[in-house]
Amino acid sequence: MATNKQATTGINQQLLDAAIKFNAKIFGLVSGIFAALALIVMTQISLAMWGEHAGGYLGLLGVFLPGYTVTPSGTLIGAFWAFIFASLGGSLTYWFYGRMLGKNIANYVEKAGNAADPILKPATLRLYGMASGTALGLAIGAALFFSTSWLVIRGTAESSVHAALLSNYLPGYTVSITGGMIGAAELFLLVFVSNVMLAAIYNKVVDIRQGKVS
Amino acid sequence: MNESSLKDQALLSAVFAKMDVLAMAIATGVLFALGLFAATVVLLLQDVPAGYPVGQHLNELQSYLPGYSVTWAGSIAGLLNGFVIGAIAGFFLALFWNLTHYIALASMLIKTAILAD
Repeated sequence: MATNKQATTGINQQLLDAAIKFNAKIFGLVSGIFAALALIVMTQISLAMWGEHAGGYLGLLGVFLPGYTVTPSGTLIGAFWAFIFASLGGSLTYWFYGRMLGKNIANYVEKAGNAADPILKPATLRLYGMASGTALGLAIGAALFFSTSWLVIRGTAESSVHAALLSNYLPGYTVSITGGMIGAAELFLLVFVSNVMLAAIYNKVVDIRQGKVS
Repeated sequence: MNESSLKDQALLSAVFAKMDVLAMAIATGVLFALGLFAATVVLLLQDVPAGYPVGQHLNELQSYLPGYSVTWAGSIAGLLNGFVIGAIAGFFLALFWNLTHYIALASMLIKTAILAD
């Protein structure tokens, strides 16, 4: 953090902190709405396709979202928890991303000769894959570790056969505390690499659309 | 405008920048496509006895994704389906992001105007 503070010398640190805090709230809100809507849509599709027999796999989410079932009333309870968890996760992720962005923001501000009007002519967002990859990787890795730990704590680790299938993609992962730590580290790496790729593609398309690349 | 104000404005521009909806849709589309393709291929490359069912759980996705199955041909269908789903998710993510910013900024402007009156 000391490096960031040094790098952001010359820009209004108080304004930067307030802006990051504001964006963290927005990102939390967007993540929450997105997760809740995704759960509602998936549940409704499942209900429409299989009726009373719906929820073979989706219903497993009830382990983490108390009260959630693949029923119309259960959907609302699940959406509520999905909103809470995703909002908190989203806010923390953006806050960490914002903290890591410090140096890049300073560079951007240093280069910005004629600053655009942030209200009437907002600039186009650039993504910093290293920062977003680290923030999201930590959040998703932690989510895997805590959800695995929850399965261990409630005593259902042995019967969690579906969670154990993650070992197909995360070698060494098991439904245990140690397995959860191994899986979290591997998932962090996977998410980090994916985010670096996502940011690279996004920034490239933005460059093409802005005519910066022929 | 002095240098300090310009820097503040540039900082606000950087932090409140709008997301490029098309770029985000393409980027998430590509990532979802590669993700589903890789998830399928990882299962196909595993050493299992002949006739042993592979990817029973991932195969359930064929109920949602036309043409998809845990086979080599299905993995290509997974690429296309993954792209479409990823692009839709990215599109709405960017749209939500921009919309919430516009609403928040508009409410701030209104508050400022009310306070100034």
